[in-house]
Amino acid sequence: MASLVRSWIPLLILQSFLVAVAFGSKEAEQFSEALLLKPLPDRKVLAHFHFENRAPPSNSHGRHHHLFPKAISQLVQKFRVKEMELSFTQGRWNHEHWGGFDPLSSMNAKPVGVELWAVFDVPQSQVDTSWKNLTHALSGLFCASINFLESSTSYAAPTWGFGTNSDKLRYGSLPREAVCTENLTPWLKLLPCRDKDGISALMNRPSVYRGFYHSQRLHLSTVESGQEGLGSGIVLEQTLTVVLQPETTSVETNMQPSWSLSSLFGRKVVGSCVLAKSSNVYLQLEGRLGHESKNVDTEIEAHKLWKNADFDLSLKPDRVLRESSGLLFIFDIDKSSDSEPFDLGLNWKLPSKWSCQQAPLQASRFLMGSGNERGAIAILLKATESQEKLPGRELTDGRCTIKANIFQIFPWYIKVYYHTLQIFVDQQQKTDSEVLKKINVSPSTDKVSSGMLEMMLELPCEVKSAAISIEYDKGFLHIDEYPPDANQGFDIPSALISFPSHHASLDFQEELSKSPLLSSFKEKSLVRSYTEVLLVPLTTPDFSMPYNVITITCTIFALYFGSLLNVLRRRIGEEERFLKSQGKKTGGVKQLLLRLTAKIRGRPIEAPSSESPAAESSFLSTKLIFKIILIAGAAAAWQYFSTDK
Amino acid sequence: MKVLTLVMLLCYSFAFSSGDTTIHTNNWAVLVCTSRFWFNYRHMANTLSLYRTVKRLGIPDERIILMLADDMACNARNEYPAQVFNNENHKLNLYGDNVEVDYRGYEVTVENFLRVLTGRHENAVPRSKRLLSDEGSHILLYMTGHGGDEFLKFQDAEELQSHDLADAVKQMKEKRRFKELMIMVDTCQAATLFNQLQSPDVLAIGSSLKGENSYSHHLDSDVGVSVVDRFTYYTLAFFERLNIYDNASLNSLFRSYDPKLLMSTAYYRTDLYQPHLAEVPVTNFFGSVMETLHTDSVYKAFSSKTSNNKINSEMPLNQLSEHDELQKANIQNDELKTEKQKCPYTQMRVDLHKKLEKLENVDTVVNLGIAVMLLVVMVSSSLL
Repeated sequence: MASLVRSWIPLLILQSFLVAVAFGSKEAEQFSEALLLKPLPDRKVLAHFHFENRAPPSNSHGRHHHLFPKAISQLVQKFRVKEMELSFTQGRWNHEHWGGFDPLSSMNAKPVGVELWAVFDVPQSQVDTSWKNLTHALSGLFCASINFLESSTSYAAPTWGFGTNSDKLRYGSLPREAVCTENLTPWLKLLPCRDKDGISALMNRPSVYRGFYHSQRLHLSTVESGQEGLGSGIVLEQTLTVVLQPETTSVETNMQPSWSLSSLFGRKVVGSCVLAKSSNVYLQLEGRLGHESKNVDTEIEAHKLWKNADFDLSLKPDRVLRESSGLLFIFDIDKSSDSEPFDLGLNWKLPSKWSCQQAPLQASRFLMGSGNERGAIAILLKATESQEKLPGRELTDGRCTIKANIFQIFPWYIKVYYHTLQIFVDQQQKTDSEVLKKINVSPSTDKVSSGMLEMMLELPCEVKSAAISIEYDKGFLHIDEYPPDANQGFDIPSALISFPSHHASLDFQEELSKSPLLSSFKEKSLVRSYTEVLLVPLTTPDFSMPYNVITITCTIFALYFGSLLNVLRRRIGEEERFLKSQGKKTGGVKQLLLRLTAKIRGRPIEAPSSESPAAESSFLSTKLIFKIILIAGAAAAWQYFSTDK
Repeated sequence: MKVLTLVMLLCYSFAFSSGDTTIHTNNWAVLVCTSRFWFNYRHMANTLSLYRTVKRLGIPDERIILMLADDMACNARNEYPAQVFNNENHKLNLYGDNVEVDYRGYEVTVENFLRVLTGRHENAVPRSKRLLSDEGSHILLYMTGHGGDEFLKFQDAEELQSHDLADAVKQMKEKRRFKELMIMVDTCQAATLFNQLQSPDVLAIGSSLKGENSYSHHLDSDVGVSVVDRFTYYTLAFFERLNIYDNASLNSLFRSYDPKLLMSTAYYRTDLYQPHLAEVPVTNFFGSVMETLHTDSVYKAFSSKTSNNKINSEMPLNQLSEHDELQKANIQNDELKTEKQKCPYTQMRVDLHKKLEKLENVDTVVNLGIAVMLLVVMVSSSLL
């Protein structure tokens, strides 16, 4: 026995060594967490949580994950998702004060409600099926009604207007979708430390949802390994962007409010998630101090930077980075512990003001017209102050131009007349050929598919404002298609305005392969902004009306047929004779009935019936007809006067 | 020979009848709030209170189907974002950090509800949205909303009729989707919803009889609306004193309802349910307490099964604390502004009835009625 064990031991050692080699040779799964904090010019604070999880390429089937969420990898495998983004947002991104030309806003300023887009790696004919199955799977995973996007009336297949050129792309959004704790819970469950440890422990639900804006985003993309036999790797990026209002005690209105993590979230970070490769907190200060000193000794200067006349930080940053537009303080939270929690605070000493870089044009969208029949949608692009300074202008035929893409989905009950498209540049109407470079329209089909409009505008650089308007008729829905709160109106999803020749990126001039957050900022991202959701009131029926109609019709029919049968079948003469013969024996009910009928006919009960029944009935009918005509006349007159009002 | 066949027949019939006495395998809960709009906050609070209770008593999230017709927690009108309270003391946030809502908003329809019960889904519907019960499952079905005589309204737009419910339950029974089903309904005239039930092993309890309303318990002036209904409030009062190891019986739960406090009469329909209620622990439906099957071979240490199985039918914890509980409740009653929210249907009927009783001159009424009817006929015909 002992010899057997002895002979096994080297084998075991060899095996474990082999396993180690096999693991070592492969790239391991990586998880990293980061939190970016950024004071905003309008006395608010932006907190951007960023989690990245990478699964390296490996043999696809039956694979085991250490950190990567199994649910997501199964999703990717089953539906062959190449790239996908899902966002849950409430609140509207304030482009003017929170920025419109940095990677943060172009990636995290999302339309209200749920937005989902996905690119599939399947044959063209199966894309729609994959999309439908994906929406259902996601709705189960994230506790939301994403499955409403499965119907062909709610999604579209943008060709170039969305920024990703692929014919296997599907896009849909649900503006009315609520976003709350139940959506965050499953999202957090995808993280290896959930919300128990690390940066995600900060996410106190009431603080997050009290904010002015919160957007929870999940972006996944597959990375082709390029090797034979290996599947593709997956990069899962989860971000939560919150704009919070720090509580302030100072009365001075121009003074920025001081804050700390515990005052913003009511919680502190007690150590990083041990499974994370890196866990950092960044503090970005924009637009200020960047110009003050350029080539000073970093050690002394760093100290100056985090405690100076303007503000001081409660913790010493590990590093300070500079960018053209501001400063970035980096903190490593590995050092924090239960006894010494990480509670970064920013204390302003002097009033300060700065502004954010804005997109070349600021977009807003509104409805025109009145009534329940028709209207028009207008998109207004206004030049921002920073427009002149921005790069990305193009010279076409010697003219300086700005390109703007507009992508818009119309639900089928908004029947858009594309020929009514009008474009105004600086209040002057332009013909299509002057400014419209490209246009792609796919009209809607009633109850089958939604309409889509993609436009590329080429505007002169010195443009002050540009407006696009398009007219529509409102359609009628079937009574079953109205939602329970139809009187609230119907939402038109946000339009997406993107600037294809403008790209936002932040480059902190350092070797930053370590930090996924900063490297994602470094990548050039398309500058884009979403417009408001529009609320269109449609003609809604009075939903109790069918019941009223049914009940009244039934009553009238019952009365009509009942009395008709009565008249046809009843032999009055016989009855009266019978009653007379009965004398006073008649019961109370019958007496009452008799009296009633007598009263209706307008003659005494005991009157002898000398006339023949026929004559009586004809006399009765003329009288009755006269009465009916009188009443009908009165009713008609009443109706005439009432409708006249 | 005859005797033998008889015995065999008997055996067979016994075996057949005991075919459905399968072992209790798991517990499921379907919790439905059918009301939309902010002023129906209390219905969502009711449902979430039950959700919290069944979760506390051991039913995991994946076996709870939670249907909420509106978003109250992150509603713009909610002063307390991501929080829902069922008491004005705000001690307990029902929404918590780990709530999972399976059907919400526009998804809460009669169709989806019946689909969940009967298990007839589209292929793509994920598992988390399905009731994956089996023939050994105990299911708790809790519904709250606005209802009336033999119907329950869904989102003010459609109704679930008592026939629909009975048909769905019948289908569930035939498909062996449950061993025992308990239906609990908190709505006006809840008892009428059970009228059509025929399937065996179904226990039903409603908050009010036909013609009665279910009232809200109290108003929270911070939230601005009533936060809980009476029936649910007293159900929770019973459960708050229990933990997963208590063996309070269903009987003690049913006896804890006081018509004076409820302002309605709780109704139980037990004729379809064989076991004696005093012997059924509430955790049979409201929790997940599995019976452990012993194997004598290896583990012999714990044999506390017998002691565990004893069920206290005599209101275990109630008797001690019922007195002061009642007093407390009474005090609460005085303090709290009890808001009477009547069902519009019953209210209208009662009013009409009263008016009719006051009338003396029946003849004139009848005459007038006929005249009005004629007028209506004329008007409608002239309109058409």
